[in-house]
Amino acid sequence: MRRFIVLMIAAVVAVSLVPIASAQEEDDQITLRVGLTQDWEVINPTSGYTVAAYEVWNLHYATLTDKAADDFATTPGLAESWEEVEPGVEYVYTLREGLTWSDGEPLTADDVAWNINTGRDQGWDNMVSTVGNIEATVIDERTVQLVSSVPDPKLPTMDVYLVPQHIWEPIATDYDAATQYAAEDGVGSGPFVMTEFTPGQSVVMTANPNYWGWEGDEPPYDQVIFRLFENPDAMVAALQQGELDAAQGFPASSWDALEADADIEVVAGQQGGFDEIAINGGAAEGQPHPALLDLEVRRAISHAIDRPAVIEDLWFGLASPLETMSPSADPKWIPEIPEENQFTYDPERANQILDEAGYMDTDDDGIREMPDGTNPIVIRHAVNTDGDLAGSIGDLMVGWMEEIGIGVELEAYDQDALFGVIVDGTYDTFYWGWVPFVDPDPMLSYFTEAEIGNYNDANWFDPAYDALYAEQNQEVDPDRRLEIVHEMLTMFHDAAVYIPMYVAPDLQAYRTDTFEGWVNQPADIGPVIFSNTSPSYVQLTPIGADAGGSDINWLLWGGIAAVVVILGGIFLARRSQTTSDERE
Amino acid sequence: MTSIAMQRRRATASRVWAQFRGSRQGMIGLAVLLVFVAMALAAPLLADVRELNPVFARAQGNPQWAPPSVFPPLGTDYIRRSVWAQFVWGSRVSLFVGLAATVLTILIGSVVGIVSGFVGGKVDAIFMRVTEWFLVIPFLPLAIVLASVLGRNVWNIIFVIGITSWPSTARLVRAQVLTVKQRLFVDRARSLGAGGGHIVAHHILPNVSGLILANATLAVPISILTETTLSFLGLGDPSAASWGKTLEEAFVNGAMARNAWWYFLPAGLGILAVVLAFTLIGRTLEEIANPRLSRSR
Repeated sequence: MRRFIVLMIAAVVAVSLVPIASAQEEDDQITLRVGLTQDWEVINPTSGYTVAAYEVWNLHYATLTDKAADDFATTPGLAESWEEVEPGVEYVYTLREGLTWSDGEPLTADDVAWNINTGRDQGWDNMVSTVGNIEATVIDERTVQLVSSVPDPKLPTMDVYLVPQHIWEPIATDYDAATQYAAEDGVGSGPFVMTEFTPGQSVVMTANPNYWGWEGDEPPYDQVIFRLFENPDAMVAALQQGELDAAQGFPASSWDALEADADIEVVAGQQGGFDEIAINGGAAEGQPHPALLDLEVRRAISHAIDRPAVIEDLWFGLASPLETMSPSADPKWIPEIPEENQFTYDPERANQILDEAGYMDTDDDGIREMPDGTNPIVIRHAVNTDGDLAGSIGDLMVGWMEEIGIGVELEAYDQDALFGVIVDGTYDTFYWGWVPFVDPDPMLSYFTEAEIGNYNDANWFDPAYDALYAEQNQEVDPDRRLEIVHEMLTMFHDAAVYIPMYVAPDLQAYRTDTFEGWVNQPADIGPVIFSNTSPSYVQLTPIGADAGGSDINWLLWGGIAAVVVILGGIFLARRSQTTSDERE
Repeated sequence: MTSIAMQRRRATASRVWAQFRGSRQGMIGLAVLLVFVAMALAAPLLADVRELNPVFARAQGNPQWAPPSVFPPLGTDYIRRSVWAQFVWGSRVSLFVGLAATVLTILIGSVVGIVSGFVGGKVDAIFMRVTEWFLVIPFLPLAIVLASVLGRNVWNIIFVIGITSWPSTARLVRAQVLTVKQRLFVDRARSLGAGGGHIVAHHILPNVSGLILANATLAVPISILTETTLSFLGLGDPSAASWGKTLEEAFVNGAMARNAWWYFLPAGLGILAVVLAFTLIGRTLEEIANPRLSRSR
């Protein structure tokens, strides 16, 4: 029996050697290898929602206007220039000459107009807040006119991902067909197009020679591979050992070790990303615990969450405090919340609020009941099993709520299931995060009534907020718009449905001995990859001839070893059961 | 039940105990197991349950990532919780899940095995095909799929382990029932007019119970390992502080990279010790129930 196990191990090792060896032989391509810890889930640009998917689209799809690396200023993209006919209302864009899709089909004004008009009419999730009021008209093959039915402060910026009309038109017959399309056709207009998508494992993107933005005639390297790591420490180790060129979203606990590595540069990328604990506001079909519908209870919960402790213990001081949602990569949009309204950590005050609101522990079991003495306040906290900190926050949540007499039941969901739970409203609280765009409009739109059942993960709305949203959406005076946005965010803060935990930097690291030309967006403080438009990829050039080290993945080996050990263990354990069976 | 049968049973029990006491491996296993059972039962005396609460731990001023020398007896984890408290309270969850899942495994396995072996014919054929079907399904993937579909709480984990590990018990019991069924006393009972239920309860069951007990003891370590595996893969109950969850949290939060051995070693060794203890006891019982095993060694 033992010999059999040894043979089995040998067979597993032998079989696993074959594909690796052949892959290496063929692999004379220069590859940029990027590690990440978030799964892509939905790769369709009209409906996907993960940061990981946005990075793929940043490479795969060019936009009409681009953004400057330094300060997000609107720069030429597919359009080489534009003319302002009426500020905030009418613009005429001229496309670059000779644009083609990666499959060689011409990219014309028809593609642009079809995307904007179809996205608006069908209400594509990731487009509607940008093009909802815009009518696009083709003037000629290289000229397209955009007219907004209301003054639009975002124009002339037009940064929605444009998909190839010749592929999508037959598919996108309605909203469902468009947003549920797999989008693995591999036809794009950006510097790299997705040629291989293995959910839960990797995305391979191949350089697009038809892309207009290359410095020389040829792309300086051949492909980008995004590799998903279940365990962030494994990703850090892979970077240190040269199996990755860059890693995104590594844990704060690895910061010191990576910073000390001479061949690795660390970046705490600031682009307004934040994490929050959301409290179900009750607007979805599934209802929260009735106590949560009371503002006083939500305020008490907010006061009971020890955010400084999380910044200190889980972020080692790398994150910074935040009082209301951060809607943009630019911090100017975040209003100052008066100190007396801030939800500072104060469990005593939280208990006092609950006492005064009549939620007493009538049966002395440590859990408060509703004011009528029934229905103990036990809330369901959804733990995102794909989030690196979500498990810890879940344990902390139990502790925080215990201090104020609220029970917590932890329920675990993976990221896609959690999205569904949020839409259904069958949760009380959860912990997750956002990385906003440059313009605050999309983030602000998520908490309007129209987004209930979609991106509104607070399941809260307020007609006054919706009215202000519509107002800022059409306000072309930047100062006035800033005022309105500040008012909205103050209102959102006071509703206590969203407790922003902190501004979370995107912790990234890259090797300095394989590629050069990394670009921070915005300048100095921003991330180098997974930024708003990720300009690094076009700027990078390999150092020396051999950019990539050995492609043999020690993780794979570790995985095989672990599987063999586990199988062997189960085998041996089971063997004791089967012996008597065999000898009966 | 006649007093003769009672006496005979008591005699058997004391004979088994005498044989068991004579086995060194059995006694070692029993001793180790008793230590852990005592620890699980005495958990509230050994460690304050509030030490599992990171908010309490912080309020106490516990250090972060402290080795045992700084924070005896076993140091602290990444959110300042005492590792000793996690070890002590984790033994409860791991033992409970292991035992409860085993009860379910043995229950399903014995019922299927006895009915199949005793009734025979078409029933046997159908039951055995179902059993074989469960046997060939890869065990871990099925457990993972079930755990993620059913949702992650302790009872579902128990159900998942039970539903995936009964087939080998069923086959074992069936084989034993088939031999017992052929014995003379069963024919005698039948010719005296005994019904199927009576025969199973009074003649078959007593004769397979030793085997079932030995098998159950050997099923516990598999259940514990499965619970640990599922927890480690993030499919465990997030609020049950089992050893598997400790290992998962240690892994996810970088204990290996930090060389924080005090964080994952206690849970790992605990699992090893309990699994070993059950295996030693189970082997000993198996040898007593089936003396041919010890001779063939």
